[in-house]
Amino acid sequence: MTRLLRRTTTARSTEPATDGGEAPEQPEETAVATTRTPAVATTRTPAVAAAEAPGDAAPEAPGGATTLVEGEPEATDGDAEVPVRSFPATWQKAALVSAVAALLLAGSAFFHGAHQLTSTSSARNHALTDAGATARVGGDVGEGLARIFSYTPASDDAVERSAGTVLAGRAARQYADLFAQVRAKLVEQRITLSTQTVRTGVIELDEDSARLLVFLDQTSRRDDARQDEPTATSAAAQLTVTAKFQGERWLIVDIKAR
Amino acid sequence: MRRGRILGAGALVVALGFCGTGAWTYAQARTDEGLAFSRERDTALAEGRDRLTVLNSLDASTREHAAAGIRAWRDASTGPLRTELGRTTPAVGASARATVTEAALTALDTRAGTAKLIATVRVDVTPRGGGAATTDRKRLEAVLTRTGEDTWRVAALSAVPVAGAEENEDE
Repeated sequence: MTRLLRRTTTARSTEPATDGGEAPEQPEETAVATTRTPAVATTRTPAVAAAEAPGDAAPEAPGGATTLVEGEPEATDGDAEVPVRSFPATWQKAALVSAVAALLLAGSAFFHGAHQLTSTSSARNHALTDAGATARVGGDVGEGLARIFSYTPASDDAVERSAGTVLAGRAARQYADLFAQVRAKLVEQRITLSTQTVRTGVIELDEDSARLLVFLDQTSRRDDARQDEPTATSAAAQLTVTAKFQGERWLIVDIKAR
Repeated sequence: MRRGRILGAGALVVALGFCGTGAWTYAQARTDEGLAFSRERDTALAEGRDRLTVLNSLDASTREHAAAGIRAWRDASTGPLRTELGRTTPAVGASARATVTEAALTALDTRAGTAKLIATVRVDVTPRGGGAATTDRKRLEAVLTRTGEDTWRVAALSAVPVAGAEENEDE
């Protein structure tokens, strides 16, 4: 602080011309020092200036000191006021703009990240995460398959009727073709088919469509008049089923054997 | 000047609010239990598929290959199944290559780290010395156990039997 003061006073004492002529530039320099330590400035400056330049600065020094004291109120009002505010004002503006920009960027990044997390195929798949819906689709499909792949000679048309409430789309056509092929044999040999769903696993599930893996057991019995006991054969079937939610229940729209 | 300041402060507050909401939404999604469960489910399913492929495959063309295959079995399994598989002695014989054609989880307990999986597997069996391959289709049920971060191993593996099948044709 003293060094700063010394520099300003020496500058003034070595350039006497500027002392009187360019008044506005000087207070700007000294104002920084004087506003902070007015006591030090007023008490020390003359002494220091006198000690440093005893030759020609000595008579000037008191003059310099007085301008310094006199110029002080002017400096804080006019010249010092503008730099202190306007310099940081542009700074402030820049800082504000960059802060707003950074915040907006960060916010966008957060929203994007959140969207990324919630819109993955993993997140959209409700299999097992929504226990109720998973159980429901599994139940509807399992029960539907058991119903359409079961057959008794007595309920010949019931199977086709229930097929209408279980199947839709491609699966309905597949089933119609299949049933047309085996029907003659079923009727002729008086075959009873009973199908149980053994395991049901939901692979994918969203609002209105699902894909399931279903294990079925099918037992066929032939009521053969020549044999005392009906012969039974069991077969395993593994199906990948696509289901759509229509109306009030899940309808099977596609069946693939695995 | 003053209006500019108010505008600036307003913009800052709005930006802060936007950023804060974004951070909150992100944190919410990050810690969402449903989403975490979904991720765990998909990991378990993918891991399960891989493990089943390994467990149903064995290159037994040479004794070394068979030994390596059995080591791979041990690596894919855990618990009692691992102990059981460890007792298998490598020998040259028929080789099998498995493909999991479809798989689904039937149960998942993320807290306990257990899952149940059903799968259909196609196994191509090549007899020793390289003859005509035969294809076998299996339906399997496996119990998976989480053994580490994102690592699931097979703790139990069994074929799903055909109910009441004395004259079993397919299995």
